[in-house]
Amino acid sequence: MDFTVYLMDTLVFMAIFAILSMSLNVEYGYTGLGNFGKVAFFLCGAYTYAIALLLGVPFYVSFVLSAVTSAILGGLMSLPALRLREDYLAIVTLAIGEVLRIFVKAEEWLTGGVWGITVPSVFANLGLSVDAVAFANVLLSWGVLIAVFLFLRYLTNTPYGRVLLSIREDDTAVQALGKNPILYKAQAFMIGSAIAGIAGALFAQYMRFIDPYMFLPMVTFTVWMMLILGGTANHYGAVVGALIVEIFNRGSRIAKDYLDLPFDPHNIQFILFGVLIILLLLYRPYGLFREKPLKTGVEAEVIKWQSSSSTK
Amino acid sequence: MAILVVDKITKRFGGFQVLQDVSLKVEEGSITGLVGPNGSGKSTLLSTVFGFYKPDGGDVYFKGDKITALPPHDVYKKGIAFAFQIPRLFFKLTVLDNLLMAARDHVGTTLDGTLFLRKKWKNQELELARRAFEILELLDLSKLVSHKAGELSGGQRKLLEIGKALMASPDMIFLDEPAAGINPVLSRKIYQNLIELKKKGMTFLVVEHKLEVLLEFADYVYMMDSGKILLSGKPKEVINDPLFYNVYVGEAKDVVSG
Ligand SMILES: Nc1ncnc2c1ncn2[C@@H]1O[C@H](COP(=O)(O)OP(=O)(O)OP(=O)(O)O)[C@@H](O)[C@H]1O
Ligand SMILES: [Mg+2]
Repeated sequence: MDFTVYLMDTLVFMAIFAILSMSLNVEYGYTGLGNFGKVAFFLCGAYTYAIALLLGVPFYVSFVLSAVTSAILGGLMSLPALRLREDYLAIVTLAIGEVLRIFVKAEEWLTGGVWGITVPSVFANLGLSVDAVAFANVLLSWGVLIAVFLFLRYLTNTPYGRVLLSIREDDTAVQALGKNPILYKAQAFMIGSAIAGIAGALFAQYMRFIDPYMFLPMVTFTVWMMLILGGTANHYGAVVGALIVEIFNRGSRIAKDYLDLPFDPHNIQFILFGVLIILLLLYRPYGLFREKPLKTGVEAEVIKWQSSSSTK
Repeated sequence: MAILVVDKITKRFGGFQVLQDVSLKVEEGSITGLVGPNGSGKSTLLSTVFGFYKPDGGDVYFKGDKITALPPHDVYKKGIAFAFQIPRLFFKLTVLDNLLMAARDHVGTTLDGTLFLRKKWKNQELELARRAFEILELLDLSKLVSHKAGELSGGQRKLLEIGKALMASPDMIFLDEPAAGINPVLSRKIYQNLIELKKKGMTFLVVEHKLEVLLEFADYVYMMDSGKILLSGKPKEVINDPLFYNVYVGEAKDVVSG
């Protein structure tokens, strides 16, 4: 791979993982829901996109379908778990990641099983050069990243976002204030799942081939690491955390390929991550970016009232 | 007319009977006091009526509707607000956000409202913020409006908890020891405000240990002991009852139970 293509490949992966990290942030950072099966929704989006395209659905509709099926999957599995106790969600999500991967492996007629699916590329028939296709993918994935970022920034700075944060703080108190926490939790989970589904579709579209081994639990843990590193309940944190972890990943791979070291730098990476997480928890437990108070647009007005009432 | 009717509520925690056939009525537009020794079941009664606990028996009616075992968010929608004895605030949110959470029918708190009715919720948000600010002024908290609730002192937390109930503009408020930990001047001010709201038709069920407060502000008082209603009547009558004296004011060795 020449350098520009390699760079663009890195950029695409950064965007896809940043989107995943932001989706986990809605669930965990804002609403306090631990989703330990993020990879399931990523997988669901990727396979939905691939299968829909193969069935002749236009690619932009396939993108939307990926979001929809992942959201439905999120709703179906979270609702019963949320009705029970808090920790059931952790167990259910942990299980769904594996269950879905095994399902995809087994249902060869639909998913190609272990042989995977070749995904038709949106950019393939346009007669573009390799560089141009890579560049188009960068634009697409970063375009989606920015759209997701803006959407979530809006959503979390509204009275709705305030309810999500309050649920994270104390859901019994939220209930006493007339809002049904289960409803909001399910919605937040569905929003997070839909966004993870879109990331999956981007992944499938970029890779042009997907198989079950691309959706190991490691994906979930990587996304968690990104979010915790960057800082929860802060969209910049979610994105920057993803960029840093991805740079680490790539850096160690480059070191492996181009430097003659007496050890495998790719393995060292995991040790480094471990050290990084420990240092972080010790010195910056909230991550690189801190949570900020939400802003619905009345804050400046309130400060004005405050200064006029204190001069009274 | 009674706005709240509690009819023979019982509640057990494991084998421990905390409420035994508790019945009471709260007149609309009254301040009704609930008094009794620590652990007599006052908070549990409020929590059960509000739907945090499912009663093991009995019924609750609010404005004539049966609300027995309705979940708290539905009880709130019927028009009751609840201020916890130990404040339950959203600590990482600002004081203003805590109050705005209590607002009723805020269109921006629903997903579709937030996405599709931007102008409407923005306007509503500003109106509600105005009201929240007035409540904070009443509670002497307006200088802390943009502080995090977790930064408040114990008494200020208690005040904000009461503020949330006021912000809900309900028909009825349950207050669990609103004056506890609040300085006398401010707790007087709060009670005087309750009187103002009462004149507008609001109803209060208040757990209160301070007898002088009950005498001055309550219209009617129920006294509980060991999960039962022992006495009820005008504050003066209840407080002058020898039984009240024995159970509540007298020395421990004199406690009569049952
Ligand atoms: N969730 C619970 N599980 C088990 N026992 C409980 C529970 N809540 C309350 N109790 C018990 O029920 C009894 C009544 O408690 P409650 O909080 O209603 O008392 P109270 O009258 O409000 O007292 P105080 O004046 O001290 O606030 C106590 O003995 C308490 O230990
Ligand atoms: Mg109590």
